[in-house]
Amino acid sequence: MIGSLLPPFLPASIGGAIEFIFEPQSSSVTGGKKVGGFEQVVELTITQLELTLLALAVALVVALPVGLYLGHRGTGELLAIAIGNAGRAIPELALIALMAVVFGVGFQYVTIALAVLGIPPILTNAFVGIRQVDRAPIDAARGMGMTEAEILFRVEMPLAIPTLMAGIRGATIAIVATATIAPLAGVLTLGDFIINRNVYGASGLLAGGILVALLALVLEFSLAALQRALTSKGLKVSAA
Amino acid sequence: MPAEEVTEEVSSAAASAVRYENATKRYGDSAEAAVERLNLEVPAGEVCVLVGPSGCGKTTAMRLVNRTVELSEGDVLIGGESVRERDPARLRREIGYVIQEVGLFPHRTIAQNVGTVPQLLGWKKERTRARTAELMELIGLDPELGERYPAQLSGGQQQRVGVARALAADPPVMLMDEPFGAIDPINRERLQNEFLRLQAEIRKTILFVTHDIDEAIKMGDRIAIMRKGGHLAQFATPAELLMAPADEFVEDFVGADRALKRLALIRVSDIDLWEAPLAYVGQPTAEVRAKLRGAEVAYPLLVDSERRPLGWLSERDLAAETVPAQPDSPLGPLLDRDDVMRDALADLLQGEAQYAAVTDHSGRIDGVLSVEIISEFLASPKAKTDENSAVERPHG
Amino acid sequence: MDSRLLSLATVGEVGKSFFHERTSETLPCQAQESKLFCFDWAKENIGSFGMPTLQHLELVVFSVLAGFAIAFVLALLAHRRRWLRAPLLGATGVLYTVPSIAFFFLLLPITGLGRDSVIIALSAYTLQIIYRNTLAGLANVPAAVKDAARGMGLTDRQILWRVELPLATPEIVAGLRIATVSTVAIATLAVLASGGGLGVKIYAGGNLHFATSIIVAGGIAILMAMSFDVILVGIQRLATPWRRTAES
Repeated sequence: MIGSLLPPFLPASIGGAIEFIFEPQSSSVTGGKKVGGFEQVVELTITQLELTLLALAVALVVALPVGLYLGHRGTGELLAIAIGNAGRAIPELALIALMAVVFGVGFQYVTIALAVLGIPPILTNAFVGIRQVDRAPIDAARGMGMTEAEILFRVEMPLAIPTLMAGIRGATIAIVATATIAPLAGVLTLGDFIINRNVYGASGLLAGGILVALLALVLEFSLAALQRALTSKGLKVSAA
Repeated sequence: MPAEEVTEEVSSAAASAVRYENATKRYGDSAEAAVERLNLEVPAGEVCVLVGPSGCGKTTAMRLVNRTVELSEGDVLIGGESVRERDPARLRREIGYVIQEVGLFPHRTIAQNVGTVPQLLGWKKERTRARTAELMELIGLDPELGERYPAQLSGGQQQRVGVARALAADPPVMLMDEPFGAIDPINRERLQNEFLRLQAEIRKTILFVTHDIDEAIKMGDRIAIMRKGGHLAQFATPAELLMAPADEFVEDFVGADRALKRLALIRVSDIDLWEAPLAYVGQPTAEVRAKLRGAEVAYPLLVDSERRPLGWLSERDLAAETVPAQPDSPLGPLLDRDDVMRDALADLLQGEAQYAAVTDHSGRIDGVLSVEIISEFLASPKAKTDENSAVERPHG
Repeated sequence: MDSRLLSLATVGEVGKSFFHERTSETLPCQAQESKLFCFDWAKENIGSFGMPTLQHLELVVFSVLAGFAIAFVLALLAHRRRWLRAPLLGATGVLYTVPSIAFFFLLLPITGLGRDSVIIALSAYTLQIIYRNTLAGLANVPAAVKDAARGMGLTDRQILWRVELPLATPEIVAGLRIATVSTVAIATLAVLASGGGLGVKIYAGGNLHFATSIIVAGGIAILMAMSFDVILVGIQRLATPWRRTAES
């Protein structure tokens, strides 16, 4: 089955993929320059990371304040939930493709598209996270003389960290996954191995899959560790 | 810290009076107000209990003081200063605030919780730490608990921390909304007693909300009974309330056992006891019989050389030449001067005795109590005017 | 020239004036760089979207059903045996984290490219969502209700099917909704793994299609997602009649 889909002289195997990652192939399917190898992998990974982190930053700047504010005020629930639901329905391929066709090739356009993907989970989770905080500490805080801003930053946010971080993690994974197809819009990321398999061959294809998976997992674990670090000890202990 | 924060320190540790002037709170367009033209003054250093059925506006009235509920009309003055003229957040830092659910910050340690308002006011860390330690001791918590988190404490401990947190910046006024409501009855009584002992030391002006009339009588120097619709039904001392309820509503709310409740407010030592004619072992009975003439008590009390009661002497005992060592009648109920009058009456009735001997701390005879004395006292003018403050009344 | 660079050149037009129209009767929509959406083309060619839509439906339905079946069983297991919860959550979490598009190709040595790989990958993605929500739904059944049921003599199995699962339905369906909507969106990527679906109308043979085609394909996907959402909400309402009276 595999053979019918790929040039028969490039079987796909894990061994081949690993080779692809670390050593440049001596020839590409279309002939000509060398492809693969560690240097190229690093280059594409860095671009993908750049895209992801930048898009995440933009999404955070846009979505976090709005979500936190609405959550603190307790208004706009319909909007916050609706944005979350709508965001899930955005077809990733169509988004990137449309962005490229309409606005053109370029790092900034892809970043915007990816940020759009990341906004809904962050906004919705920020809203829900703040809303779900126990009312008693908030009432006490207000009665003790904290200003609204102090209440949000010193009481509500620390207590909302689990839900908040879940949203940020979800956004990050969605963004890094979609950044994979950025080559369609002219920004070369690890997805190039997948999309342009004529050039990279079956080994490249598999390598691309492995690399993207690894990248996503590393990001996820990093964020999980960050969440653990940010979560107050008081939320993790229970009655002795 | 910005300079303005540092100067926000509470300047006086003395209590301030709280006065409501036509204070009104109306929500939306509703015809009925949550609080309707409330007028009352809580003298400095006193505990004023706001009590009433649910929906009467007692919590709303309390919250008008620290502006967690905003006034619709009228004013509230603390130490003569209107709350309307203060910035709400700054105002609240000078008022202690305890709510029923406590509301400890789960993400902060106990010490950090207690130090919240000092931190907001810009106190130096060392001062906050010292104050926190002082408060932990004051409310009876192991200082080690300071590093724990709220989730690791029991309900009763959390409640105490809530009180300590409210006291941290030494505010002149404290608001307490059903602070002991969520605790089981045994611990609640303990916390109430400890709180009264605390108040005896610190003498803050306290507005205390409860729905329990018995708690109100126990804790309050003055009680404000409120009716649905935010109306003040009566504002009086507990004794006044029990003896002269303003209307049927107050009467019903206080309960049918008003007279009994009054007995909880006084101790045996508060009233004039009868003198018992004393008899010693071996004393000539003639002397004893002479004492009996004109005495308030019909029977002599046998005491030892230390004047400690041993029993009551009957006619048969007095028929002998000298007072016998073994009295005919047993001692019966034996009371202490510091006993709560209600408990003393209960003992008297249970022992089916006409008289009960009352002793002092060392067990020496002090006087004799009877049901007659009690009812005489309750009817006397003295009972109506004499009133102990909450902290001096008997409490466990 | 490298075919890759050629496709980039086609894509590289920047449509500056979307509303500047040329006389469109003579030029087909694809060639009008400036036009964002040609309604006429859409009307004429809607038929060609039929097969991709059906393929897309197929991908989504099979993936969600497979994912649900596996996740449901796992959740039931973990509900009974506490020790399973953490490892299963971790395992399904890894499956969820690995981007579907990567997953399509991780399966390359085993199932190769094509519809099967896509369905397996998409199922893996839905696993965690459905697993987590099912477990949470079961855990949130009030202990008092279970206690009463046990006291009345229901066996554990009866309690599960007659009490716990019905009460957990809202949360389970919530998980299904999230999973389904997300899967519809991600399935557009199936074209990259030779899996068909609406993605073929967005990108095929090394080229991006033109704006109208992309918009129609994307629009159908969004409509499909919303329809599933509405259908699932309806199913949930039907399955939990007691909640209706509570809400009114």
